[in-house]
Parts: sequence; C-alpha cells; structure tokens
Amino acid sequence: MLEKLSRPDTVRRWPGAIPVRHRYTPGVAGEAFFEALRDRGALVGSRCRACGFTYVPARLFCERCFAELDADTEVGPAGELVSFTIVYVGADGEPLDEPVTLGLVRLDGADAVLCHRVLDAGDEPLGIGQRVEVVLRPPHERTGSILDIAGLRPAGS
Amino acid sequence: MGRRAAVVGAGMTRFVRRAQETGKELAWEAARAALDSCELSLADVDAVCLTSAPDAFDGVHMKGEHLADGAGAWGRPMIRTYVGGGSGVFVGIQAWYTVASGMADVVLVVAEEKMSSCQPHPQGAFLTIFDGVLERPLGPNLLWIFALEMNRYMDAYGLDKRDIAAVAVKNRRNAADHPSALLGGQLVTIEDVLSSETLAWPVQRLDVSPVSDGAVALVVAAEGVAEKITDRPVWIQGVGWNLDTAYWTNRDLAFPEYVANAARMAYGMADVTEPRKQIHVAEPYDPFDYKELHHLEGLLLFDRGTASEAVRDGVLDRDGDLPSCPSGGLLGVGNPIAAAGLMKLAELFWQLRGDAGARQVPGTPERGVAQAWGDLMQVGTVVVMGVEAGRARERSAAGPGAATPPAEPRGRGLSEAGFRAAPGAVEHALEARYAWDTGVAVGRFLDGLRDGRIVGRECRGCDRVLVPPRMFCERIFRATDAWVDVGTTGTVQTFSICHVAWDMERLERPQIPAVIAIDGSDGGFLHLLGEVDPASVRIGMRVEAVWLPEGARTGSISDIACFRPLTEEG
Repeated sequence: MLEKLSRPDTVRRWPGAIPVRHRYTPGVAGEAFFEALRDRGALVGSRCRACGFTYVPARLFCERCFAELDADTEVGPAGELVSFTIVYVGADGEPLDEPVTLGLVRLDGADAVLCHRVLDAGDEPLGIGQRVEVVLRPPHERTGSILDIAGLRPAGS
Repeated sequence: MGRRAAVVGAGMTRFVRRAQETGKELAWEAARAALDSCELSLADVDAVCLTSAPDAFDGVHMKGEHLADGAGAWGRPMIRTYVGGGSGVFVGIQAWYTVASGMADVVLVVAEEKMSSCQPHPQGAFLTIFDGVLERPLGPNLLWIFALEMNRYMDAYGLDKRDIAAVAVKNRRNAADHPSALLGGQLVTIEDVLSSETLAWPVQRLDVSPVSDGAVALVVAAEGVAEKITDRPVWIQGVGWNLDTAYWTNRDLAFPEYVANAARMAYGMADVTEPRKQIHVAEPYDPFDYKELHHLEGLLLFDRGTASEAVRDGVLDRDGDLPSCPSGGLLGVGNPIAAAGLMKLAELFWQLRGDAGARQVPGTPERGVAQAWGDLMQVGTVVVMGVEAGRARERSAAGPGAATPPAEPRGRGLSEAGFRAAPGAVEHALEARYAWDTGVAVGRFLDGLRDGRIVGRECRGCDRVLVPPRMFCERIFRATDAWVDVGTTGTVQTFSICHVAWDMERLERPQIPAVIAIDGSDGGFLHLLGEVDPASVRIGMRVEAVWLPEGARTGSISDIACFRPLTEEG
C-alpha cells in the first residue's frame, strides 16, 4: 500500500499561506497601562485587595480570585533582576550582529515580573538579584507601546 | 451513564463587532457573570472546560492556554476542546463528561471568540479548511461550501428561497428582545433578505450571521451538588456528537446524516423517543438561515424538506408549536463562533427556568435541544436539557422569571478609528508559509491529470470507486485495492455563482464553483464550471473536463481548466 520514496527531493508539494494579519486590542486594563506610560512615564499595575498580589501591567481582573481590579498601583521604576539571558541568534536561527540581553524584573511594589531588554550592561557581568531600573524614552518619542520603555539598566549607572 | 450533571448558572457578554476588551477580559466578564448568577466564587470551581477558535484566528499560539486566566483556570485542571463551529455546544458535552465521570463536582464552562482580530477578514483563517492541493488552487472561499450545500438542499426538496429567508426575519425579530444582541432591533423583511447583495448565489448578505466578538459561560454541577446551588437546576439529559467523512464532496449535502446520528445518540440517552412531541424548545445552529432548517431536519424534529413549511406557517415562532432559536440565534444575536454555540445552551437554561424575560416562550417547556455544526463541515454536536416535570409549573407559579442582562461590559465597542487611537493597539502579520505534500494517493491522481486521465481507487470491501482517491477506505478502514481509470465527464451535484473573494471584495467576473460527480466513480470533487452562461447552469447538468494543452499540464488540479456542458453525449 505504501509507496517508498527513494528521492525525497522529488516529493511534490503545494505552497500556500494563511494570508491574515491580526489586530490586538490592549483591552480595558492595557489601555490604562499604556496611557499612563505614554503620558506620565508611569508604570501602572493593579493590586488585588483580596489576594494581596500586585500585577504589572495593570489587569482588569485577578486570575487568582476573579475579583475586578483597577489600574490603581504605580510600581518601579527600579526593581530586582530575577533572571536574564544573552541572545546570540534571531528568530530565524541566524546569528545576530550584536547579542541582545533580556531580563526579567520584579519592579518595586509589584509581585508579577516584567520582561524587557537590558541596555548597556557594561563591563560588569549581570547578576541575578541585582538592582535595575527602567529607562523610558523621552516623552515626545512615546507612542503608547511597550517600546516606550527603552529597557532596563543597572540601577544608578 | 455516570453521575447526572446540571447547568446551575449562566452569563454572557454583549456581542459586538469589535470589543475593546481583550479575549481574556471578555472571558472573565462572562465567567464572572455565570458564577455571580448562582452565587458561587472561583474557589468553588473544580475544573474548567474552555473552547475558542483556532490559534490562526486571533494570531495567538495556544489560545486556550492564553485564555486560561480569564476562564478561571489558574491552579486548576483545564482543557480546551475545539470542533469548529460545533465547539460551543461540544464544550457543554465536555462539561457533562467531566462531571459524569466523577472528576469534578463543579465545572466552569467558557467559550470566547474575538473575530475582529483577524484582518482583512476572518475568512482568511478559514482558507486552510480547503484541501491545499486539490481545492486551494481553485481560489475557494468559505461561502462556497454554504452556497453549494444550500443550493443542493433547495434543489433536493424543491424549496422556495422566500421560506428560507423567513428564518433570517424570525431570528432578527427574536434578537430584538436579547440585551446582548449585536443586531437587536434591526428588523428585516423577507423582501430585504431577497434583495440584499448576492455573495455566492443562493447566499445573499442577509442570509448570513454577522462576525462578532463575545463570550458566554455556564456553571455545571453534579447531582447532589447542583440542588444545593439552586432549587432549579437544568439537567443535561443527553449528549451526542458524530462526524461524517472529511471528503465533503463525497457527502450527501441535502441531509446532515451526522447531525441525525448525534441526535439519536443524545435522544437515546435522554429517553426521547418522539422528539417532535418531547422537545418543547429548540436552538439549532443558524450561521446561515437555511442551516437552521437543515439542522431541524437533522435533529429529526421535521421530515426531510419540510422545516421550511414550519417557518412559513409560524410553527417556529417564539409563540409557535416548536419555538426555534428564541434567543435570536447567530443570525440575530451575532456569531462569535464558539461563544455563539454556548449561547444556545445558555438560552435553554434560561428558557427552561422561566428566566428568559421578554424572550420567554409561553407555557411550561420542560425539555429543549441545542445543536451546533462545524469541524470540516462534518460534525454535529447535540445537547438535550430539561427540568423535572412539575418543576416548570412551580416556577411559573412564582411569576415571570428574572430578565437576563448581559454582564456589565467594562469596555466599549471600538470603531476602526477607535482601534487605531487605542494606546497599545498593535497589528502583526502571521508570517508563516506552508508546503503541503501531495501524499501517495493524490500524487498519483495528479500524475493522471497530467496525462489527461482521472483516476480513482477501488475499495472491494464496500464496492466503491473513490474520487478523490485514497489509500484507505474511511468507511471500513482497510487498504483500498486498485487504481482505476474513471471518466472525464460527470454530473453537476450542486453549484454556486460566487461574486466575492475570501476577503469579501467583489470579483470582476463571478466564479461558478461546483461539486461534480465523476462518471464511473462513487465520488466527485470541487471544480469550476466555465464556457457556460451562468444563468443556464442546472443541478444534474452533464459536464466534461476541459484540459489544458498537453504540454502545459503540470500535474495539478488546474490541469483541468474547468468543466463545461457536455454537448455530445456518449
């Protein structure tokens, strides 16, 4: 029943794509987060009074207890580096011209961690647990995007 | 059959064109409303059953897991099921077996859909429904399947399109009383439907339900627990689902046998022996108006080809003998795919408790059926729900039930400009390309086309010649036996005259897709008709393949340029 292929390069294939784009709405809480970031340079989260857990970015609801939340808690701009990685290849597997450092930061006053780039780590090696701070783009360059945050850098550098 | 399970709470969002809320936020609004409706908290929930459309739809990988927090699944067992349009009813079946098996006492059931994510039209994500090798080269769009089925259905029973249009009129009218309805209050007449833009004849604009964003949730609890949560549980009395062959061009398009099989399974479990007498309210799946009638027949509530008489005569009206889609259905409330199916179970819950407010059907209905349809156009999903006899009368003695407002929306509807102005809004392309292998059987079929022949595969077990060919017979599950040359002529089983592409832009020249039964086979396939005046095409018309010149053929379905009327028989 099965026909054996001895020349895999002769397998006939039909190319195709799923020709769509996707729009992502930031949502009720997301709009509040991005608006505060753009207009005030503030990092706004949501604190659940019932669970005592503070999310950042802000959320509409607590996933732990389902309570409704407000975008009511400013966090950061400094925090603790929870983990980091240095990335040498891009999404297509090709080497990057310059390696990119990504960090997870638990901003002061938050329980959730945020992922962003680490800028100018300098000559000192990064250490988990070290203090870092958020670097914002200048107000006139902010558009209401996660890239309004330029990145993280060692605190006080 | 395991422990009994009952629906004890329900909630839903408004259905809107584009919600400001994220999918997670919509899911939470509906889930929270369902829990609030029966005064439970998330801590009372043992497990979560979730459904939502494929990941390509929203452009979110593992969308079920992505939605988990909004569905109340933090720290809980959750699984997402998906059976296409059939999903919203299937997730109720999933909830039933999660409870019946003893795995969970209280299940939160959530269906969410955000169709507005998918640009320029959600149909783009549906193109892969079509076979990548045999069908996509023809330039199909999803409307073709509905139009081809609708035409076949109308032709088989000699139906008048006026009677089919009456379904769209009825459901819009019912939806005017639904506070969640996208189209609530936008009433239409039969003339409006018949004069609306022709998309893919016989499908016109107002035959079709609108794409929407929205979410619906239920709470399902086990016997012994349900009665403590509410004095009016609505029991899941029977469930059924069934699939037909994925070779849709080999199916009987006039009657959904798979829906009938699913209905028999559900009725058997519910001890329903005379469905037309024992079912008091129905929520059949109505993404297109003809589908409601097609499905009422599949549900064995009407004889084949007679449901259109019922809608014409008012039998299906809210105050008719068998109210059908009293919610307003997908045609009136909106069609956020998975959520729309679960809305049907929510509607039965409200109707059977007497809580449907202005939508309440008269009398004391004790049993209802909800059904949906989907997968690759071949699954039927059916749930029978009911209250114990006497319960309904108790309830009605207490006066009219509470109205059922949608969950208080935290967000607003977003226009095109509103989306662009929203801080944080982004748009990304799905940058993936695919290459579909032809496989063994279709590879040989394409070799045949290059040589100007159509080949099929003979199954000596069921005595069929399969076109398109396959190396196994899906009916009896054995290897097929031999290659056979079949004819290059055939008969039009059904056709459509399609005026729009998948992105809903008008075509300069209409396409005439058709399912063609190939002479000498028990099957057929999708192709285009050409060299013919569209007005003269008929079901049953004899046609022949028009081949590209020998040197131009490459081993592709497009080696047949089209099929044209056969002038000289035999």
